[in-house]
Amino acid sequence: MTPDKSQPSAAWIAELRARFPTEREIDRVLTRKMQRRAGPGYQPLALETLVDGVRSLLDAELSTPYELRDARWLSGGASKLQMAFTLEWQHPQDGLSCTAMVLRMEPSESIVETSRLREFQLIRAMEGVVPVPPVYWCDSEGDHLPYPALIYGFAPGVTKPSTAASGVSGLGTQLPADLRAKLAPQFVEHLAKIHTAEFRGKGLDAFDIPEVGTTQCAEWGINWWERVWEEDCDEDVPLMRLAAAWLRANLPVLDRAVVVHSDYRLGNFLFTEHDTTITAWLDWELGRIGDRHQDIAWTTSRAFGAMAEDGKTFLTSGLMPEAEFIAAYEKATGLSVNPKTVHWYKVYNDFMMATLSLATGYRTARGSKTHQDVLVTWLIGIGPMLLEEMRSLIEESI
Amino acid sequence: MQMRPQIQLQAVIKALSDVVLPAIDPNNKLAIEQGKLSIGLLALLAQQLPNQFRFDCDELARLIATARELVAQAKGGEGTQAAVAALYEATQLAGSTLDTAQASPAEVEAMVRAMRVTSGQLVTEVYRDGEAGCRAGIRDAVLAMSKEQLLRDRSMLLMQGWEPDPKAVPPIASLLDASAR
Repeated sequence: MTPDKSQPSAAWIAELRARFPTEREIDRVLTRKMQRRAGPGYQPLALETLVDGVRSLLDAELSTPYELRDARWLSGGASKLQMAFTLEWQHPQDGLSCTAMVLRMEPSESIVETSRLREFQLIRAMEGVVPVPPVYWCDSEGDHLPYPALIYGFAPGVTKPSTAASGVSGLGTQLPADLRAKLAPQFVEHLAKIHTAEFRGKGLDAFDIPEVGTTQCAEWGINWWERVWEEDCDEDVPLMRLAAAWLRANLPVLDRAVVVHSDYRLGNFLFTEHDTTITAWLDWELGRIGDRHQDIAWTTSRAFGAMAEDGKTFLTSGLMPEAEFIAAYEKATGLSVNPKTVHWYKVYNDFMMATLSLATGYRTARGSKTHQDVLVTWLIGIGPMLLEEMRSLIEESI
Repeated sequence: MQMRPQIQLQAVIKALSDVVLPAIDPNNKLAIEQGKLSIGLLALLAQQLPNQFRFDCDELARLIATARELVAQAKGGEGTQAAVAALYEATQLAGSTLDTAQASPAEVEAMVRAMRVTSGQLVTEVYRDGEAGCRAGIRDAVLAMSKEQLLRDRSMLLMQGWEPDPKAVPPIASLLDASAR
């Protein structure tokens, strides 16, 4: 019998949890999503409601007086609500400060259902490794705000040149050659630093560490996204079933556990235009401790690339040809890149993105669960292109 | 095809109602009125879409029945006789069209959904406990079907701009014409 996905039963939720074992925090977040699904959709929130929520959080976190002002909505991103504000407060290190901050809060249900706690911990762990925005506080259960949220500092810079054109979420951005030449080395260097950074002892207790020398990392990953497909999809897709079976039949063994950003691409970093320096890496919400090949496969996805001026050379993340990118990465990390594992993760990443666009995108919009259902609905349209890429990749492996 | 008109309309109506309309300058009465009318028309469209085909079939059946009655009763000179002949011919054509339109779009969509689910279940089960020797054939059949179908899905959504090489995707009308032949 087909389950009612809009009003999932406790028994069905329990069955999915048992069928698709994954990391504990991922399981917790997905279970919470399903338990709340039958609840109300997203209702437009007044800015004042968010300001009150932030004040409640600050009252619990700060022991000295503060003043919150200049609250305003921010656009950008397909998954979270964002409010900018200025906080006059006693900074623990800098003393009396006036700090530009951003509140990043989930809607009722997001196109990417993730853990604010993991995002908070991972950004903290990456401070000093690569440029990241400072993160200050996390309301991981929505105790103060209407939904789970975190507060981070404003980082200077832009995601694309002021003059560039691109689609939603920075997809399809075209960069001029001189800019590419300056950004590409930093792009590779930062990925190398993330993948070679020590993560143990960095307070990442919301993450489970997969066992090296086994396929556990890949299994956790495919269990995560196949579970989301089951939870959210409306129209089934035989190719998704084939892809899940193919992924399980070809699981790669993890040779080294590293921090994986999981959305490492143009559009997810800020750079200052006057000196072309990357100032912050954003969107860590899908990050995990896993296989470096996942990031390499993601970064080299066709969905995030662009053609060079010659109309023939495909540029990884719009920055450099794939072969150059791989060679530079291997040199910077001292780690080899296994093409077969990259291939597996390309299929995996397409499976994940197709799940997000076709299944979760539909489900959240159908339930009126987000602050921008129209954008989420628009993103459903990228699904067939992702499926075609996944189909070609599986065909190539035969 | 997950990107169906119903979900698109629902999302657009919500965006217009919750975000766009409240942001219009309250002194711009024309913009407020047209914003509300736009939402109203989209809501009407959302209500009409699922029934439009059956509505047209229902009307066509009524017109055919009435035409047969008109043809039987009309008597007169050359003008009347020519009109009777024309109506008779149109009625014959309309009748055969109605005969071939027995399944509604909703029924076809329901069958598409059912076939997707049951085909997918077969793939899962073959990879779980099917004979290893048949997996390659199952895989190739799904890949081949998906290639053709995804080309049509991508063509249907071409104007969204997701395709790296849009010229490589033929127009949806020509693909559907080719399938029909």
